[in-house]
Amino acid sequence: MTALSRTALPIAPAARASVHEHSGAALTVVRQEAPEGVGAELWAGLHLPKLMHARQLKQLARLAQGFTPRVSLEPPDGLLLEVRGSLHLFSGVAGLRVALVQACGSLGLQPLLAFAPTPLAALVAARAGKEIEVLTRAQLIGALAPLPLSALRWSPQVVERLKRAGVRTIGAVLRLPRAGFARRFGAAELATLDKLTGTTRELRAAFKPPERFHRRRELNCEAESHAPILIEFAGLLRELEDFLKVRQLGVMALECRLLHRQAAATCCVLNLAAPAADARHIAGLLAEKLSRIELPQPVRALELRPATLLPLSLAVRSLWQPGEHGGGTENETHTLIERLRARLGEAAIHGLRLLDDHRPENSWARSAPPAARAGTHQQAPAPAAGRRPLWLLLVPQPLEVRAGFPRRRGVLELLSEPERIESGWWDGADIVRDYYLARDRYGVRLWVFRERSAPHGWFLHGIFG
Amino acid sequence: MDDPKLARLLEHPAIWRGRSSARLEVLPSGFAALDAALPGGGWPRSGLIEILIPRFGSGELSLLLPALATLTRGASARWCVWVAPPFMPFAPALVAQGIALDRVAVVGGERPLWAFEQVLGSGACEAALAWARKPAPRDIRRLQLAAERGRTLGVLFRPRSAARETSAAALRLCVAAVGNGAEVTLLKGRGARGVVRLPSFGS
Repeated sequence: MTALSRTALPIAPAARASVHEHSGAALTVVRQEAPEGVGAELWAGLHLPKLMHARQLKQLARLAQGFTPRVSLEPPDGLLLEVRGSLHLFSGVAGLRVALVQACGSLGLQPLLAFAPTPLAALVAARAGKEIEVLTRAQLIGALAPLPLSALRWSPQVVERLKRAGVRTIGAVLRLPRAGFARRFGAAELATLDKLTGTTRELRAAFKPPERFHRRRELNCEAESHAPILIEFAGLLRELEDFLKVRQLGVMALECRLLHRQAAATCCVLNLAAPAADARHIAGLLAEKLSRIELPQPVRALELRPATLLPLSLAVRSLWQPGEHGGGTENETHTLIERLRARLGEAAIHGLRLLDDHRPENSWARSAPPAARAGTHQQAPAPAAGRRPLWLLLVPQPLEVRAGFPRRRGVLELLSEPERIESGWWDGADIVRDYYLARDRYGVRLWVFRERSAPHGWFLHGIFG
Repeated sequence: MDDPKLARLLEHPAIWRGRSSARLEVLPSGFAALDAALPGGGWPRSGLIEILIPRFGSGELSLLLPALATLTRGASARWCVWVAPPFMPFAPALVAQGIALDRVAVVGGERPLWAFEQVLGSGACEAALAWARKPAPRDIRRLQLAAERGRTLGVLFRPRSAARETSAAALRLCVAAVGNGAEVTLLKGRGARGVVRLPSFGS
């Protein structure tokens, strides 16, 4: 037993001098001590006396994850944050304290907040209402000494017996001999004191928020128009944003359901061009989408369910305006695609690409909207073909024929030799056509063809523009 | 005053003298005769221009294509968007004219003016072309502001009858097919007036 080898030692030396006194004995003891100096932990302990629900503590823990990844719950009313690595972001303890109190304030909570090198010390000081800021273990015992024993939350019997022995503060209990304390008051209590002073290291379970986001909100009164629904959705979307931000995730698709009294729920699926987490951005798109939806009945409740969660690439603001000096345009193009699709439907915007086919109808295809370009452009050489019109009619338009010549707003003047396009026998959509460049009486140049097969009809297929 | 050293010093691009008009950022149109007539020596780099045509196919696209080809081939070129075109732009012909197809997007025909304003103001496009039948003067002013905000060259094609209406567009011109080429009449623009004949559009 480690405690037995140091029978005469106090539980924690009150000052440096006593460490030297017993340094010979201390060296023989193998202990896992919390590290000192750089790399040492610094814990912020939050005591929340006015906490209503356990849900609120979890909500606060999610907010706290914006300050540090190491957050630990101490139900029912405590929260611990390891903040050594975050200090420089808030220019020290004072800045971090202000930020934490503000975060609690946004949930309507007023915390008692203490900083100490061990988690238990931070929590105990906060419970005792003493908002200490102790950064090193050397000063810890001095700061803890005047605190009442009740802050340790031991069982009433233990506290009562200590009180009868004249021990009322943490400082007094730390001066008691180790072996005697363990025998008379319990080994668990001794272990608590070791964790309090950092003699043994306390390992705390990190808080892990639930990974699923599914919210339902009942409306206070049935909504008949879009405006109140959008206001409610804005609140849900802000929750979604908080949920996504701590995980560095974004949504690609979002399912919103509007529930009615009798009619089947109205479903509205929002598809985004790039993973997004910004509540205002999503709310704007949702407003566009909802404005196209007719409500069959007043809405009683809302549901929000993100379908696809993807890692969010953190937006790096370019120094340059989009497009100049090679500034990126990804954000602008995604915003544009989403806005057009939300108002005009999914097919609102498309790109163009070439296909390897001689038939004009099959030589191009619609494609997904172009992505932002990286690096310089290298294009395949233009296909070797005769002159092609800039406009193509999706369906060739039959032309009136008089005396063997095609007419459109008057007689057409054929300007070129015929170019024969004969292709596609293998897939049933074969064409055999003679294409001509023609000009009408207004000077508009047209691309017309005559079918080689009977009845040798003339068609307009393109305009040169 | 005729000191050549002083004259050279004053040519320094950082020196701006009050009597010279503000430098306009322009884009060569690819036609020397047209560049000479356009204010600043080319198409404006941002802002709205109106091209009035008696009918589709009067040479209005051939007039723009050299400039569009230059725009889409830039190292970090933004998009070139066609809003509500009357027919489908024919991809092989665009490529043959030197346009980089991976910069071209086509926006469907419903609510063309709203879509055009979104496209112009988004900042995602180098140029945007739109075909609209009857935009109100108020709409055109909004489009002009959106084009300046998004630093985009907006081109609005309108029927020739619109020449009688006033317009907030920075530049207005009228195109008519003549022979193998076209006749361009400048209707409005800073100091731009006159008629330019382009005898032929290339091959």
